Amino acid sequence: MKRIVLAFCLASSLAAQVTSEKLLAAAAGGTDWLTYSGNYRGWRHSSLDQINRQNAARLSLEWAYQMPTTHFVETTPLVVDGIMYVSEPPSNVVALDAKTGRPYWRYRRQLPKRINVCCGQVNRGVAVLGNRVFVGTVDAHLVALDARTGSVLWDVQVADYSTGHAITGAPLIVKDMVICGIGGGEYGIRGFLDAYDAATGKRRWRFWTIPEPGQPGSETWQGDAWKTGGAPTWITGAFDAAQNLLIWGTGNPSPDWNGDVRPGDNLYSDSAIALDVDTGRMKWYFQFIPHDVHDWDAVQVPVLVDAEWKGQPRKLVYWAHRGGFFYVLDRETGKFLFGKAFAKQTWAKGLDDSGHPMVLPNTEPSTEGTYIWPGVQGATNWYSPSYSPLTKLFYLSYWENRSIYRKGDQEYTAGNRYIGSVPLIDLPGDLGHGGVRALNPQTGERIWEYKLETKPWAGVLSTAGQLVFGGSDEGYLFTLDAETGKELWRQNLGGMIRANPITYVANGKQLVSIAAGNAIFTFGLR
Amino acid sequence: MRHLKAALLLFVGLLAAEESRTNPHTSPADVAAGEKTFHSHCAPCHGYRAEGGRGPNLAAGRFYHGSSDADILKNISEGIPGTEMPGLFYNEDRVWQLVAFIRSLSANAIKPAGNAEAGASLFRSQGCSGCHTIRGEGGSAGPDLSAVGAARSVDNLKLSIVDPSAEVQPQFWTVRFEDAAGKTMQGFLLNEDTYTVQLLDRDGSLRTYEKTSLKNYAIDKRSTMPSYRDKLSSGQLDDLLTYLWSQRPQ
Repeated sequence: MKRIVLAFCLASSLAAQVTSEKLLAAAAGGTDWLTYSGNYRGWRHSSLDQINRQNAARLSLEWAYQMPTTHFVETTPLVVDGIMYVSEPPSNVVALDAKTGRPYWRYRRQLPKRINVCCGQVNRGVAVLGNRVFVGTVDAHLVALDARTGSVLWDVQVADYSTGHAITGAPLIVKDMVICGIGGGEYGIRGFLDAYDAATGKRRWRFWTIPEPGQPGSETWQGDAWKTGGAPTWITGAFDAAQNLLIWGTGNPSPDWNGDVRPGDNLYSDSAIALDVDTGRMKWYFQFIPHDVHDWDAVQVPVLVDAEWKGQPRKLVYWAHRGGFFYVLDRETGKFLFGKAFAKQTWAKGLDDSGHPMVLPNTEPSTEGTYIWPGVQGATNWYSPSYSPLTKLFYLSYWENRSIYRKGDQEYTAGNRYIGSVPLIDLPGDLGHGGVRALNPQTGERIWEYKLETKPWAGVLSTAGQLVFGGSDEGYLFTLDAETGKELWRQNLGGMIRANPITYVANGKQLVSIAAGNAIFTFGLR
Repeated sequence: MRHLKAALLLFVGLLAAEESRTNPHTSPADVAAGEKTFHSHCAPCHGYRAEGGRGPNLAAGRFYHGSSDADILKNISEGIPGTEMPGLFYNEDRVWQLVAFIRSLSANAIKPAGNAEAGASLFRSQGCSGCHTIRGEGGSAGPDLSAVGAARSVDNLKLSIVDPSAEVQPQFWTVRFEDAAGKTMQGFLLNEDTYTVQLLDRDGSLRTYEKTSLKNYAIDKRSTMPSYRDKLSSGQLDDLLTYLWSQRPQ
């Protein structure tokens, strides 16, 4: 009887009730962390201010949770009603008590022997709706779990893992659908974005990010290159509820560094795409780099802001792209409004009036090697930026480095790398550096910079406490004054941080969590 | 019980067969085909000449996850759990060609033709052992050379002797600064982050400093080792190279 009572209490305490209305309301802030970016607009901002500039120096460890894994941990945890849902690489999920870090249950994914993921068998997070937790897997399945027990409710194959497809990004819940992207840009997949019925797992729609012959955009491909052209969708996008539009980024065309076999602009690679969320039909697109040959994916979180633009209220998208330029787009049309470099770049003279890069000569990969800023990993990458409605600043982790881009042989064979190059990603003795920058998104002007010795793989979080949290490869979690960039606190967590921070409230106390090394660390005020 | 014994024998037999498998594709054409696959699939991480990068050096003949042909075949085919090494979806013949190419890198390495004993004597008389340790004996001002023969090519060893600053590992860069008391400090830069620096000072002590407390902080990426270009005859250089090349993991 005692067990039954205990089980009942456990079930009650795990009654995660995320509704689509609650997800929409997350735009106004709250005490949980309900979606990958904290709200649909991609802000990674919290209205919590219990931890603020005056007391941040008193941050102290509340708990740590160690994961039984040797893979990189890139997860963003979600917190719902006192429960933290964390994806563990390669494709497991654990439910923790958000106050203590003690586990309730774990879902262990049984994976095939051979999994090909370009950059490690990672997972960046889960999605929650009602009593269900959703996770994408590196063998390209989408799985719905019971939030109370971790048991599998449905498990659907999104794509064939043996041809290089993998899911590493966090799904996004919109209405009663699970929006799910795909990875495989280094394996010559044909990219897509999917929507699934959250109740049944049945696919509602699929948008192919590379049009087939005869469709608009197919003129930007020749021959059969579209079949192996890449354009994956492996980072969680944003949702514009007023327009019913998903705004999502697409990755590089394949093969990455040898564009000879794919002449043309290669739509819709390296693009922002806007899709009607009910039908998956495209409303607009903006391609950051036509015919990219440097692997500069547009897999960044779009930041959706309604603001004055040249004296008129306008729906905007802010986007710091991997190629080194910060863009402002019109969210209703996709029209380019403004762009400016936010880091050193040597490949373009600038952007023209339509936002297209004016590419400089001799900047393509070559057999002897071409030195270009930014490097292969870009001036920024998949780790999240942040926008604060208080400072109206755009925050991002940046890299200042260069690579040698070499063009190499390429040959497509299903399931194997299809990259066409041998780049030297980091130059020995010239590793570059990185840090956190605050930009005025209306002008692209740099307001402040927090420089690091190394190049960070950690995203940033801003809060109403006028703080910006970030992390480093060196293993430091730090918090900065959101207005000045002054460091207020830091802690060495002893492991590389390749994840985004979140904040939430448990038992009335604001906490901040981030993955570092193979663990989740959570801090509060002492 | 008999069934169990038979199964065990079969299992042991299979294990033995697996370990003893040798590469059936080792012709020059196979090596060339393996090189092509290597350049398109492996070089981005392991380097164009397999010298290492994001993945380890494969040209030195040392393999950390098993060194038999069958081990290498397995690691390429299935990937290595817990690492970034993925598996290749190729048929076995093609992976064997890749194994042949990787083997060729260390098999074709030039072997020095000097006298190792004479080289050992030079190692002591020319002052090398004052800075370098081999199997626990020697100084700590330079790299430990106990296994240098397996880790470096002969050409690379030669370069380090005649032009020590040509390639210096970051942990042997020299850092110099004045500490808070105004004392000048110097040592090997073992590690550095945004806020602190870890060094091995000239007294052989491990020290960490907060960077904010330091003045005139500077890193010298040149080697502190003198060049032996004009100090050794051609024959002596060969002897010393032969001695160093013979230093392998015990």
